[in-house]
Amino acid sequence: MMEYALYLGCTIPLKLPHFEFAFREIANYLGLTFKELEGASCCPDPVATQSISIDTWLTLAARNLCLAEKLGLDILTICAGCFETLKTTKVLLSEDKAAFDRVNTVLKKIGYEYKGTSDVYHFAELFSQEKYLEKIKKILMNPLDDLNVAVHYGCHLVRPSKILKFDHPERPETIDKIINALGGKTVAYAGKLECCGFCARLQEEIGFKLVEDKITELKELEEGVDVMVGVCPACVGQYDRKQRLISRKTGKELDIPVLYLPELMAIAFGVEKDKLGLTTRSVKPNKLLEKLNI
Amino acid sequence: MTEEEVINAEDLDYNFRYEISEKVGAKSLLKCIQCGVCSSGCTVTEYVDLQPHRVVASCLLGLKDRVLSSNAIWTCSLCHRCTERCPKGVDYSFILALLRNLAVKEGNCPEEYRGTIQTIHDNGFVVPYTGGLATNIDRRRQRFGLPKFVPPDLKEIDFIMNETGIGNLIEKAVENKESDK
Repeated sequence: MMEYALYLGCTIPLKLPHFEFAFREIANYLGLTFKELEGASCCPDPVATQSISIDTWLTLAARNLCLAEKLGLDILTICAGCFETLKTTKVLLSEDKAAFDRVNTVLKKIGYEYKGTSDVYHFAELFSQEKYLEKIKKILMNPLDDLNVAVHYGCHLVRPSKILKFDHPERPETIDKIINALGGKTVAYAGKLECCGFCARLQEEIGFKLVEDKITELKELEEGVDVMVGVCPACVGQYDRKQRLISRKTGKELDIPVLYLPELMAIAFGVEKDKLGLTTRSVKPNKLLEKLNI
Repeated sequence: MTEEEVINAEDLDYNFRYEISEKVGAKSLLKCIQCGVCSSGCTVTEYVDLQPHRVVASCLLGLKDRVLSSNAIWTCSLCHRCTERCPKGVDYSFILALLRNLAVKEGNCPEEYRGTIQTIHDNGFVVPYTGGLATNIDRRRQRFGLPKFVPPDLKEIDFIMNETGIGNLIEKAVENKESDK
């Protein structure tokens, strides 16, 4: 069995431990083993750090990659932002010899050497592999029968595909496959690949508009949407919180529960719902749980 | 109709395009054919003063000041659709990150971003994790039965930030802000 260096990032372990719990539960069910990446820092975030200094961004990211190299393992990320930063750093440093040397000049002074030997993965990539899909089907306790799921991929998982090589950039299927293995149906919708707007941090109206557009489209779908899933804590939080704020302001009934994919998987695998921290959401997933008889 | 604006050739910075394209990730700047695919797919296209293809055109023309003072470079939501769809392989998202770096060098750094960098410097993370806050976080993690969280050696983070120059950039932004007052 492959072993990975688990890179937690900061938002999930420090602010959303229930997301980490859900992930560890399902990883355990699926027989995934990993070593903790102790001493890792923020990836660092692809917005502020990269915007201010690309060199700082690459060097801090390379330090995190070095920690996995020391363990001789590939990195497994559980957030799309971390995935983007770490994978982009790996690709850029392999293409840009001058940047590779600059990064190592700094790192060597604190006892690190970046070699580029560890690969970077997001868990969605692993779980959509055939062997895991088969395993998912076998350990399913509460199949998501008749559940209509809206998948939100999130920008930093799929684009730019030249670097991230995650899936087809306009027609990704990775997460849909996982939902189907769980017994759920995924809905087709025009805004599937739209941005959540979290990273347009300096102008919040952009985020509000993007959330309103997407949730409104989902509410208008004939088949109805029971839940939206994402694989990035920023996207999940953005859709969850903002749709309630928009509802209050506009009177529109926007109430689609948003879950982190491992949470939905944990529900399907039979993890007790009370252990999962689902009550922290602005939009409570009560109707969803009722529909599943949980 | 917008008023016609005349810019004298001597006010253009012809080297600006090379200042950008000398970086490996941004050399694709010179390949732009002004087709506008980036702008038609842009998530924030209705919020910017210069659309992506016009930012690129302005870089190529040498309108350095106009580009670096535009809101366009800070409004981007980093959805990367421009880079994804460009038929010529222009990596606009990376070029934009570089333009932000150049704007910061001139002392133009958004306060929110400066704050994030300070938080990473002081905690190793974008979430404060020191003293009582760390105790609370650890307790919450324990309730979920999660393993002990081992943060980075902050001296290493400080060293990297200083060596790569981000410390100076932030100080400069603070000085600029104070001299504005």
